[in-house]
Amino acid sequence: MEKRSRNSLRLTAVVALLLAVTLLRAFPSRPAPERLVNDLAGIFTPSQRQELESVLVAFDDSTSNQICVVTVNDLEGDSPASYAYRIGESWGVGDTGFDNGVVLLVKPKTGSSSGQVSIQVGYGLEGAIPDLRCKRIIDDVLIPGFREGDYYGAVYDACQRLMALASGEISQERDREDEIAEVAEVLVRLFIFFLVLFILVMVLKHNGNGGGGGRRDRHIYIGPLGGPWGSFNSGGSFGGFGGGGFGGGSGGFGGFGGGHFGGGGASGSW
Amino acid sequence: MKKSLISIAVVAVVLVAGFIWVKNTYNSLVSSSEEVSAAWAQVENVYQRRADLIPNLVATVKGYAEHESETLAAVVEARSKATSVTISPEELNEESIAAFQAAQNNLSGALGRLIAIAENYPELKASQNFSELQAQLEGTENRISVERQKFNDTALAYNKQVKMFPSNIVASIFGLEQKGYFKAAEGAQNAPVVEF
Repeated sequence: MEKRSRNSLRLTAVVALLLAVTLLRAFPSRPAPERLVNDLAGIFTPSQRQELESVLVAFDDSTSNQICVVTVNDLEGDSPASYAYRIGESWGVGDTGFDNGVVLLVKPKTGSSSGQVSIQVGYGLEGAIPDLRCKRIIDDVLIPGFREGDYYGAVYDACQRLMALASGEISQERDREDEIAEVAEVLVRLFIFFLVLFILVMVLKHNGNGGGGGRRDRHIYIGPLGGPWGSFNSGGSFGGFGGGGFGGGSGGFGGFGGGHFGGGGASGSW
Repeated sequence: MKKSLISIAVVAVVLVAGFIWVKNTYNSLVSSSEEVSAAWAQVENVYQRRADLIPNLVATVKGYAEHESETLAAVVEARSKATSVTISPEELNEESIAAFQAAQNNLSGALGRLIAIAENYPELKASQNFSELQAQLEGTENRISVERQKFNDTALAYNKQVKMFPSNIVASIFGLEQKGYFKAAEGAQNAPVVEF
């Protein structure tokens, strides 16, 4: 008995440790709602943030490449490259299939600590945006701008350069196919749900009749099947999925796609 | 008569259920093992990427720092040693990974010394070629640490399956062994510091 409780204690400790490790590694946490400009250091004005966000969202919509700008005040002892990599990987910047995300991380210069910047490129864009190009963007655009205190202008220009490079490799307009597939999946799930429900109802009713019911009972139960099917086909009660649920596509950011990163890119400090 | 029929049916059900369980467990072990192999291929890939940068780097440094031939020769030698150590996916055990890691760490050390001597040659440091190589080297070292981490993560997931009950039974029946990990050695695995 005592041994068992000790074992369960150990198990709890291991689970807690794993949880803590997961939480640590997932830091900084994914923004909600998801957005491409995450000015956690507060170096942009709200209108600048808005402008850059809309530029990057438009780029995401037209080419499916996601450029995510993150500013933080503290790298928590990590190197800028590793910090930016962790953001890209844990947030899933870029699409799963293309791995076409870019993370631009800026840690502004503060009184005592030096400024740090890193560009991390997803696997799928390593060919289009080689490390050297990142290095040049950092050395020629970002750091000179940062030195003058023009954070927004420098980041904006860097994003323009990154967009020009990225669109050369992967340029696929976001169509509604993904969303159609999602709707189809929802419909399939609904169908299965109703099927299970129907079988359940049938079995329950059958049992309720004491099992002694004759064949006539069975015929009656075709009725409920017709019910869900009818409204299913007419679309009357399910029409909401098409418009309401996925309406956000044209206006705001559609969300990160689960892209992966391999550590490609460059970093710098000033 | 009826009883024996029932017991035959029970045995048949148990056999089928057992077969399905073994099949599913084995297949999932094999697929995680394949994931480990794929992660290993990525690791070798990025180390090869580093090895490919070295001839160019050595040639560039040679142009500016001819009498550092000793350091340069050490890098060339460490590179050829490191590229000669490769591991087939079936032998990803503790010892082979340790040997691989030792050879690569040796190269990291030699590279670090080469970058350090560049400090003494302002012309070399200022050259476009050298700074470009440094940027590529830095990106490659990042890739190495990322792929090593990803390899360790996939190996951990696989090893858990091999070790944990009840899938360990299937693993031992089919002779599936645990995979090794990259060890964080005392500072040796650290990327050569590339300062800008």
